[in-house]
Amino acid sequence: MVLVFALLIILPFFHVYQTYVAAHAYDLLAPGERQLYDIIETLTAPFVDDPSRDLDVIKGNTWSGRLFGVKMSDPLAVAGQMAAGRNVYNPFLLTALFPVVATLIFGRFFCGWLCPANFLYELNTNLRILLGRFGVRSGRRCLDPKLKYIVLGVGLLICGISGSVLVAAVYPPAILGRELYYAIAQRGMGVGALFFVATVLFDLLVARRGFCRYLCPGGALYSLLGRFRVLRIQRNVVTCNDCTKCNSVCEFGLNPLRDDFGQECNNCTACIAVCPVDALQFRWRITDTPNQGPGRESPRYRRDHKDARQVFGNANSKA
Amino acid sequence: MTAMAPATSMVVQARTKRNGQRYLRPPGALPESEFVSRCIHCGQCGEVCPNRCINYFGFENGLTSLDTPYITPREKACILCMKCGEVCPSGAIQPVRRTIPAITEGVRMGRAQVDKQLCLSYQGKTCGVCYRACPLPDLALRVGMLEQPEVLDACVGCGLCERSCIQMPQAIRIIPAHTQTGEVL
Repeated sequence: MVLVFALLIILPFFHVYQTYVAAHAYDLLAPGERQLYDIIETLTAPFVDDPSRDLDVIKGNTWSGRLFGVKMSDPLAVAGQMAAGRNVYNPFLLTALFPVVATLIFGRFFCGWLCPANFLYELNTNLRILLGRFGVRSGRRCLDPKLKYIVLGVGLLICGISGSVLVAAVYPPAILGRELYYAIAQRGMGVGALFFVATVLFDLLVARRGFCRYLCPGGALYSLLGRFRVLRIQRNVVTCNDCTKCNSVCEFGLNPLRDDFGQECNNCTACIAVCPVDALQFRWRITDTPNQGPGRESPRYRRDHKDARQVFGNANSKA
Repeated sequence: MTAMAPATSMVVQARTKRNGQRYLRPPGALPESEFVSRCIHCGQCGEVCPNRCINYFGFENGLTSLDTPYITPREKACILCMKCGEVCPSGAIQPVRRTIPAITEGVRMGRAQVDKQLCLSYQGKTCGVCYRACPLPDLALRVGMLEQPEVLDACVGCGLCERSCIQMPQAIRIIPAHTQTGEVL
């Protein structure tokens, strides 16, 4: 995620460097431009022979990009294009094949592992905690997570009516890729940057990770695709001690404590990392286990099942 | 649903006319309304352009053109390297091979138009800069007596002539393919 974000910053610089190389005008560059040229040249010289050609292997952003000759696009880009053009362009459809298959297996992993906006949103969550230490209370409203499916539907409808892929204008990873490129290689940031700042403020003032949880159209599409994902996090009820750390760490407001991951889980592993008793693990399963009740190591369960504990423990360790 | 497509294109054209800003789409781009529906606003065409001539719209050309690529030939013209069509994932800019027949066949950004009142060569001072700048000399642009330029049918509208014109305002300019009316904007 940090890597993706760093790439989004460095790629426009590579592009600017390529144009300097193509212009054959090192002597005419301004001092600042010359400095940039030297830095990028030092960085890339060991790996490329011909910058104008070889640096083309990685282009674009997480919305749509090219990685060593393979073009990949966000499924939302393809959905939006199909809605706007009312046609299917097969070469473009193919570019979303790999992301779609990966989502069918790993679920909404893009959000937790690749989305460059997620990196900033998580920093924003840290800011909330920091503000909380100084006694500033940030918004903690809860909305309905189903709202984002409506945003997705309305977004695609607007694409269809306007004949333009406007859903790209409200999708943070697409905005961020574009705006960082505008800021570095073009004439400065556009309107998308304002929208992004608005989402950050929404997260800060209204609801924790509010945009991702309740509004993101891309997240909605990934959630739908990841509904029957094969790789899931599951709770081992025998070792779980109901400490609730997993619930409070979950950026998406899910309920790992009571086995409720659902289609929205993006396998980000934050709950696995925080679990003090290693009760959460990845499993190859198509469905979540139904609510298994309180963890067997929790004070409540121990109190309730003082006598029968041995029996239950054995029964569960088999499963 | 298909009945809405012409309505959409009319909206797009009306916007183009009302704003009156003259712009070109990148080489190999589909006709305007189709282009707008295909473009996913990813910004890759600008990112491969070695000439950095591709810019992106904000709201100035209407909502549907938001974040779509355009070229202002007087500022920076297309050098017909054809990298943008190669990188475009959605086919909004069609890939065109970088050969003269392929380019004259597949690229239709616009067509140059000479203003004889402004053109130095037509005013008795031999110039010929536009002809020297043209990537398709004698196919797209021919000069006659006293270097007087004449635009031919193979002109693809890259804008290098307009970029190079030493007159201010420029005596040769590209009429974008999507305006179609032939009027000088």
